[in-house]
Amino acid sequence: MGKAAITLTVNGAEADGLVEPRRTLADFLREDLALTGTKLGCEQGVCGACTVLLDGQAVRSCLLFAVQAQGASVTTVEGLAASEDFDALQKAFSDNHGLQCGYCTPGVLMTTRALLDTLSSPSENEIREALSGNICRCTGYHGIVEAVKELTAAQA
Amino acid sequence: MSELTIPRGKHVGARVNRVEDPALLAGEAKFVCDLTLPRMLHAAFVRSPYAHARITSIDTSDALAMPGIEAVLTGSDITAYPLSDLVALEGLQKTPQPVVATDRVRFVGEAVAVVVARDPYVAEDAAARVEVDYEELPAMTSVEAAMGDDAPLLFDDLGSNVVFQTTRTFGDPDVAFASADRTYRRRMRGNRFVAAPMETRGVLADFERASGKLTVWSSNQMPDLLRVTLSAVLQFPAQKLRAVAPHVGGGFGQKMTTHPEEVVVAYLALQLGRPVRWIEDRRENLLAAAHAKEQVIELEAAVKDDGTILAFRSRCVGDAGGYSFNQASALIEPWYSATLMPGVYKVQNYEFEVLAVLTNKTPIGPYRGVGWTPGHTIREMLLDEIASDLGLDPAEFRQRNMVTAGEFPYKACVGQVYDSGSFIESVDKALEMIGYEEFRAEQESARARGCHLGIGISPYVEPTGFGSEAAQQQAEFPFPSHDNATVTVDPTGKVTVALSVTTQGQGHKTTFAQIAADTLGVELEDIAVVQGDTDTSPFGMGTYASRAAVIAGGSVALAAGEVRQKILDAAGVLLEIAADDLTIESSRVSVKGSPGRGMSLGDVAMAAYWAPTTRQEGKDPFLSATRFYDPKATYGNGCIVAVVEVDVETGHAQVKRLAVVEDCGTVLNPMIVEGQVRGAIAQGIGGALYESIVYSETGQPLTTTYLDYLLPTSTEVPSIEVGHLESPSPLTVGGIKGMGESGLIAAQGAVVSAVIDALDPFDPEIEELPLSPDRVLRSIGRISG
Ligand code: FES
Ligand code: FES
Repeated sequence: MGKAAITLTVNGAEADGLVEPRRTLADFLREDLALTGTKLGCEQGVCGACTVLLDGQAVRSCLLFAVQAQGASVTTVEGLAASEDFDALQKAFSDNHGLQCGYCTPGVLMTTRALLDTLSSPSENEIREALSGNICRCTGYHGIVEAVKELTAAQA
Repeated sequence: MSELTIPRGKHVGARVNRVEDPALLAGEAKFVCDLTLPRMLHAAFVRSPYAHARITSIDTSDALAMPGIEAVLTGSDITAYPLSDLVALEGLQKTPQPVVATDRVRFVGEAVAVVVARDPYVAEDAAARVEVDYEELPAMTSVEAAMGDDAPLLFDDLGSNVVFQTTRTFGDPDVAFASADRTYRRRMRGNRFVAAPMETRGVLADFERASGKLTVWSSNQMPDLLRVTLSAVLQFPAQKLRAVAPHVGGGFGQKMTTHPEEVVVAYLALQLGRPVRWIEDRRENLLAAAHAKEQVIELEAAVKDDGTILAFRSRCVGDAGGYSFNQASALIEPWYSATLMPGVYKVQNYEFEVLAVLTNKTPIGPYRGVGWTPGHTIREMLLDEIASDLGLDPAEFRQRNMVTAGEFPYKACVGQVYDSGSFIESVDKALEMIGYEEFRAEQESARARGCHLGIGISPYVEPTGFGSEAAQQQAEFPFPSHDNATVTVDPTGKVTVALSVTTQGQGHKTTFAQIAADTLGVELEDIAVVQGDTDTSPFGMGTYASRAAVIAGGSVALAAGEVRQKILDAAGVLLEIAADDLTIESSRVSVKGSPGRGMSLGDVAMAAYWAPTTRQEGKDPFLSATRFYDPKATYGNGCIVAVVEVDVETGHAQVKRLAVVEDCGTVLNPMIVEGQVRGAIAQGIGGALYESIVYSETGQPLTTTYLDYLLPTSTEVPSIEVGHLESPSPLTVGGIKGMGESGLIAAQGAVVSAVIDALDPFDPEIEELPLSPDRVLRSIGRISG
């Protein structure tokens, strides 16, 4: 299968690749760039574990081909962890026990980041609605919702 | 201090943040799918599209000819003993499962070949090119069909698809039923639902030819058992085999048993002399990883007019799938339903019949709450029916029949000895939390406006801390179940705790450090907990059956206690004072009552290791101890109360509120306990309303994506209020009980009862779960079929 050359920005740095058109963005990030923080839970576009930010929008990297990210700016959990406001995210999730096995967590954090950027003073229902695309099998969501509530309250 | 007490300093019982969190939040934590090795190859399985068939031929030539393919193996190319269960219960038939099918497939998804390629995409391409010819056989997708007179057999030599059948009688149920004022009967088909951990299964195996060392990283809950099993089925020397469970993204029981794929990947690494990785995709996980829960249960109750339950009679038929799956066997469901059926109720007359039946579906394995979930659900459904028939309040009726505070230890008729508990109190507290009286008033007024609210009350007892005695009480065979911990203080005074239990998200690195911290008098940050690697952890059974807190907690406390004594002995020599007069606090050893007189733990440790003067005749100077713990059986309890709203036009049921009271004895870390309870309850809500593996009549699975297999999300699971009661176990170290499964044992029953209560005006008829909208509408006759 022929390969395509792509260039994009990942976590603020330029990343090049030579990829098959069918290669998913998730596999490109995880396998080619060794950014394994992004997780795959279903590869069916349902669970949200693979959520990354593409030009600021939360997207499912299992549903995108790497070639579709040509020229775009992608942020993964590794990029988020290096950002200034990560401490607050980390504290809120840890204080509220918003994770157990942590497998869904990178996706949840990316969705949370996008939510904090788009919703101001959301209600609990709005928060639950915004998180409903991220499946967590461990926590029953309670700690995740509490963490996000705390973060949105701090932001308001 | 007796060995049963553990010191409680500032750590045990505190809401301590988890030491696991930073690496997980930063995306740094490595799961199997994140591990790579030089020259690593990728495996993909070819799986049967038929539920029941004979394999007539396999042609691998096209696949092998593809560029980038390293190997294609069929069942006959693989030298490995088949997998079988380890259950020594008389009469249980064995159904050995080849790790890759050789001549016969018994469920859709059974592996028939495996492809190894340099690239995972190419491995999947090649898997699609393996040509397998099948001669289809009739498939049986229900226990009724498989038990039919001329049902085709899954294993010809067994002569029947029923691999186990037994009856047990306790007390005198016949007399009780004959003398009862009323008798009741219910039948239910419990849904097949699955653990669905967010991380699917995955294995990476590496064989170093020169040293002969085989390392297997697997998303597995029991690495020691995996190592022993691999050694046995591959006939590979165990001393050269290392099994590692790195970060594991949820297990919930599914990752307890050794799955065939783990053997195959290890075999491939051995054969090819290169690392081989297999990462399961979600479709495979829903197809071929162990399923759970499905049973057909009938339950009868004999009751007096005053509301006393005299006796139960049950028949639990487990739908085992294609094999009595290793290592737990087909009994993992029906046996446990049957044996815990009396639950929190004082019923001493009981008869059960247990059957385990093979069908052409994915094998059933353990999943949180094992057989207890459906047994509990049908019992609570039946109790609601009885209460309503007798005109009694469902809470009061239940409480009237429960074991009371003064009756512990209480011996249940099947043989479990409930060591302590708060059965009645937990119901009171949960009802208070939900506001029971107010709810009944609200329910009535809501009904008047056409809004249908219902409440379900589900009190539970949970067998925990599965050790040898619990195995005997619950499983009727003395499976020696124990674990070990090694606690070591190094010459700098820092602590390593090595555990034989593994974690899949339960926060062990935090809770067990809390125990060691209080026992040794050090801070949490002075402790490292290691686990999940057979090279560095002491041997043990691993994590399952709500046993880690009890067993690892106990073994850590015992080992840390022994090390503490060694530290005090050494410090006694150094300070020229009796060890009994010394204490340790914040890593400082000092004389009780005169904190000024002492020295740092680091200095004591340094001297203990290296100063000849601290050596005492006949004493082992090494500041380390390994302790084994095989606890007495201990039982947690609690009560879940759920409030649901049902839309009788659409059939949609939504859990509006949920309160739970849990009693797991001594609480090590309330935050972690609450997390476990809430997570398990979410799974129970899934099992009540959403989750179901569905098969077509020909045995085709229809739920192979998360679009079809519905997991509850943040909009389906309400905020769950957790209350605590503490009835410490008089039998276990520290009074610790387990609690990991209770939510899934009891939440399905709570939610189902609540839906039935909401639908009360319509006389719902419910025999199958989950209560999806179509089933709700059918139950009240709004749609037919
Ligand atoms: S892995 Fe992308 S949505 Fe599940
Ligand atoms: S923490 Fe395990 S799936 Fe969310």
